Amino acid sequence: MSALLELENISKFYGNIIALTGVTTSVNAGEVTCVLGDNGAGKSTFIKIIAGAHQQSEGTLRVEGDEVMFDSPRDALALGIATVYQDLAVVPLMSVWRNFFLGAEPTRGWGPFQRLDQAKASSIAREEMAKMGIDIRDTEQAVGTLSGGERQSVAIARAAYFGAKVLILDEPTSALGVKQSGVVLRYILEARNRGLGVIFITHNPNHAWPVGDRFLILNRGRSMGNFAKEEITRDELIMMMAGGAELEELTKELEMAAATGTADPSLKELAEEFAEEYEELEERTEHD
Amino acid sequence: MTTATLEPAEAAPAADERLAYRGPIQRLLIRPEIGALIGAAVIWAFFWAVTDVFGTTAGVNNYLDVSATLGIMSVAVALLMIGGEFDLSSGAITGATGMLVVLLVKEVGEFGGAGFPATVAIPLTLAFALGIGWANGTLVEKTALPSFIVTLGTFFILRGAKLGFAKLFTDKVIVEGLDDAPDHGFWENIFGAVWVRNDHVWDSFLGGRNVVYGVLVTVGVSLLAVGILELLFRRRATPSSSGLTVALVGAVGAYGGLIALTTTDGAGQNWLWGTVMAVGACVLLYGLAAWRYEPLPAVGGAFHLQDHVGRNVALGLGAIVLGVALGLVLDAESQTELGFLLTVQGFRAIAYTGLVITGLILLLLAARTAGKASPLTQLAITTLAAVSVVAVAFIVQSQSESRKFRAEFFAVIVGVAVVLFMIGVLRARFVERRTPDAASDRLGRVIALAGITITFVGIAIRLLFATTVENETIPGEVRWRVSVLYFLLFAVIGSYMLLRTKFGSWTFAVGGNKDASRQVGVPAARTKTILFMIVSAAGWLVGMLIAFRLNSVQANVGDGQEFFYIIAAVVGGNLLTGGYGSVLGAAIGAIIMAMSFQGIPFAGWNSDWRFLFVGAILLLAVLVNNYVRAKAEAAS
Repeated sequence: MSALLELENISKFYGNIIALTGVTTSVNAGEVTCVLGDNGAGKSTFIKIIAGAHQQSEGTLRVEGDEVMFDSPRDALALGIATVYQDLAVVPLMSVWRNFFLGAEPTRGWGPFQRLDQAKASSIAREEMAKMGIDIRDTEQAVGTLSGGERQSVAIARAAYFGAKVLILDEPTSALGVKQSGVVLRYILEARNRGLGVIFITHNPNHAWPVGDRFLILNRGRSMGNFAKEEITRDELIMMMAGGAELEELTKELEMAAATGTADPSLKELAEEFAEEYEELEERTEHD
Repeated sequence: MTTATLEPAEAAPAADERLAYRGPIQRLLIRPEIGALIGAAVIWAFFWAVTDVFGTTAGVNNYLDVSATLGIMSVAVALLMIGGEFDLSSGAITGATGMLVVLLVKEVGEFGGAGFPATVAIPLTLAFALGIGWANGTLVEKTALPSFIVTLGTFFILRGAKLGFAKLFTDKVIVEGLDDAPDHGFWENIFGAVWVRNDHVWDSFLGGRNVVYGVLVTVGVSLLAVGILELLFRRRATPSSSGLTVALVGAVGAYGGLIALTTTDGAGQNWLWGTVMAVGACVLLYGLAAWRYEPLPAVGGAFHLQDHVGRNVALGLGAIVLGVALGLVLDAESQTELGFLLTVQGFRAIAYTGLVITGLILLLLAARTAGKASPLTQLAITTLAAVSVVAVAFIVQSQSESRKFRAEFFAVIVGVAVVLFMIGVLRARFVERRTPDAASDRLGRVIALAGITITFVGIAIRLLFATTVENETIPGEVRWRVSVLYFLLFAVIGSYMLLRTKFGSWTFAVGGNKDASRQVGVPAARTKTILFMIVSAAGWLVGMLIAFRLNSVQANVGDGQEFFYIIAAVVGGNLLTGGYGSVLGAAIGAIIMAMSFQGIPFAGWNSDWRFLFVGAILLLAVLVNNYVRAKAEAAS
């Protein structure tokens, strides 16, 4: 069986700027593929290509074995690829059920007398949210009054309900606290258990590791590797992700700045922290 | 490193404990239009009290007529505003379509006339209006410029075109002669129809207008009260039949008192029947509650008056006494100037009502604060407030020369006291519902809505039909124009569209978060363009109404009105930034504006003051809306 979504040597150029080059990975049904990278690593370009907002300059994109080229997000959506953007996911002033069915409202009646089937929409929204483990008491509640994690989950539940096969989650945990992040990670697993292929984009390896089945690491537009979970350890992942060499460099810079004495004393503390973290990383990598 | 293993099967978080139950009443209070509704009631009461005409059918006709054209537009503008855009050309388009239709039907050869029959000219004009709306929408969408600038351009184009073409074709700034069209009569029935109230006398059938009106309003108000009870209190397992008996006794008292009150007029009689009615109503409500809802074991908490509560009670009582004293001392008829703008009479009215209302608010605040510690104290203070209100009612009654204050105002004040008192008693005696109960919620809502509808039908009957006595005693004709009907239709259809259709959802969405809505497949550009077209279509309707009313259109008709449409929408609780608001609110906002515009000259004040008044209302409305929304959201 071919993978739900396969990317082979995908590259994207904006004029002479190379935003992404030679990226290969795949997403299977019931699996989570994590895309890791720091700011500017090319994660947004990566999403935009899969979501259909941009087209790749080189390489092939296959959906269930068929080669495709998306013209618009609508094309991607039609093939079951749904994207949940971190800050664009919902309309905060609208109620939960309106948000849930936005763009695909169920209606009753005929012709000009078509009206929203509010009761149905409300009960489905409540049920689907319950499947995600969220008990919405009042679906009339404005989404803006939900917590950050719950807001993401409205968007995730919605995508799953409307038959998404591949769910792209753009930094769903980045603006959330520890507990809320945990909640969102659980929704990711829920979605996976329901047979969706999930692409989870994050810069936090600690969030990626517990849920991921496959890891794609991006750095400065380049793929640093595409690993199945068996092929890599948690610490290697963190090491690669943080870019060990870069961390060392940063530590030195900070130390120098602290040594000049004119700098903020907190810089020194920061440098020490970085040094410690670097040592720790090295140690662990050796163990493995 | 330790990361908790994530167990998807782990128990879902139970009902969110941070989410407090929000009762139906509280949910009603966060509706965007609620501020406007309260404002409308206050302004109506104000002008009703200070003028003689305002509360009569003629007065109602006068301000509803003004509100009709304003309201049709503000409803459309509110929809667009919820969709996140403005249309500054919305005023000019009303005049432009009106002018265009006149020019199209005028005979060929005569100053620029096209000689079309109205049947051709009117759809052509609509097409023109829709074209303008489409152009506005498409320009805004394609260029991503603020609609403010784009439609400002359209506004000046239309304004200039109106003036330029009017002068070019007719050498005047007015185009005349819509009635030249051969089929003018047919279209006049649609856009210019008039219902002459004095021609429609209803004296005998079904006991006559007054009886039907009285019955409908009484039934309506009673249903409303029952519906609210159902929404507020928790049902008991087995209904108590003794409660039902008490309710029936109360009902006999309440309705008997009411009938006696309406059939007698004389200062001596009213207080007796007024008291019978009030006590009957209290007993009725208590009986109903006892029959159907779960009682509390006892009124909780010992009597305890905290210092600051005591201070508020004292201040409140003081204000009421001072107000009444001022009312007694100052001469109600004196027109002596007291200084800046105020006569003794005016000062008395303002000081009197202001102090009494302030006092009442202080008392109610004190009751609320006290209620947190001791429901018994709350009940005591509420009773005190109700008693003061009744006392004021009697003083007003004994002083008044006019029937308006002697009978009608008296009944309203006593009614307020009954409601105040019963809210206090019932909340202290019965268990309030703290959990949603779908069946009760639906039942309560249906009953309350039925009550409101029946009340309005009663009022409408009174406004539409005259009695022989009225025709003989009240001079002048009352002519209801069809524009009021269009206004009502527009408000109802607009509200339905916004709240109950797909398109309404999309409107909220494109105004609230355009990118998110586009992301999930809402055709954002099309939605906004259609909203612009709705505004210009509304402008067309208003243009037709103006043209068929006057048979001529001035070149400056509608210019500058767009700000009033926007003000009406904002007063109605619509958010300037989009994504939130209400069509009904905008309609109420339009009525508020019209009431202030017409009420000021009715009251005998220089109408130059009306803009000051409108500005103050706008600021007040924005502040109240802000406050209510912040409060409501904090409560959730």
